[in-house]
Amino acid sequence: MKKKILILPLVVFLLILLTFSYLLVIDRNPQEIPSNLINKKIPNFEANFLFKDKKFIFPEELENKIILVNFFATWCKPCRDEHAYIKNFSEQEEITVIGINYKDDPKKTIKWLNNLGNPYRHVLLDKTGKIAIEWGVYGIPETFVVNSNGIIKYRQAGPVTKKIYKKINLLIKEIK
Amino acid sequence: MISKKFILLIIFFSSIQLFTNNSFSVDPDEILENKKLEMRARIISKNTRCLVCQNQSIDESNSPLAKDLRKIIRKKLLEGKNDDEIYSFLTDRYGDFILLKPSLKLNTIALWFLPFFFLLIGLFIIFYHNKKSKKN
Repeated sequence: MKKKILILPLVVFLLILLTFSYLLVIDRNPQEIPSNLINKKIPNFEANFLFKDKKFIFPEELENKIILVNFFATWCKPCRDEHAYIKNFSEQEEITVIGINYKDDPKKTIKWLNNLGNPYRHVLLDKTGKIAIEWGVYGIPETFVVNSNGIIKYRQAGPVTKKIYKKINLLIKEIK
Repeated sequence: MISKKFILLIIFFSSIQLFTNNSFSVDPDEILENKKLEMRARIISKNTRCLVCQNQSIDESNSPLAKDLRKIIRKKLLEGKNDDEIYSFLTDRYGDFILLKPSLKLNTIALWFLPFFFLLIGLFIIFYHNKKSKKN
């Protein structure tokens, strides 16, 4: 009995060690914050268009298609890096790509899109960052995958890389 | 032996922290005229994690997102929202992670009570060990 009790701290220590080793080994980024909006309806919001002089009312203007919502800015280097992948998404017929231009100068955005190509069906302006907060964004770029019923299925915090591009494509096939 | 001077020096340096005001990043233009509301805004901000520099509250952080959140909190207070409504606005969008003090829920029970559990184990082992050495 006495000896058994003395083993207890060792067992607890080993359990803690195992837990930490497991967390080190699995593929995760401890800095990444899980989105609270997964499997929830997209937030209601209004925004001005970059190219049109009218208001866009979300989610009223959905067309029962899969939507990719991409928060971007011209001052954000990773946004430039992921731009090619966002363009690839826009070439797929079943996807509508919507860009939300975060705290940016519209003139610079127009120039940026003219230079790099415009993959967005709509470009909306978020001058104050309020729309980003509605979506739980904490740093750009961020990309959300929304199914045809307006339910958020995935959030990518940080740029879309080759690996993430493949992951999102698989997800799109699943939810189609 | 540790000298008395050394102990006094440690006490002196540790007590400095007690008499300093914690720094905060609220800009003058953010501060509300109503002092009661401003105090509530400061308390809520102190309990809200900055998601950019994750070990700071939005009250201390200089990041633009922290500033935006501070402004939204103050706007909601002016609209007459209560503290719970503001906290749920924040957690609806950013999850419980945004709270520096997580609420007591089924999935946070271990977080709240495991330290006490380990303390009990520690106390039990000390008590048991003492009893044994007395006998010897």
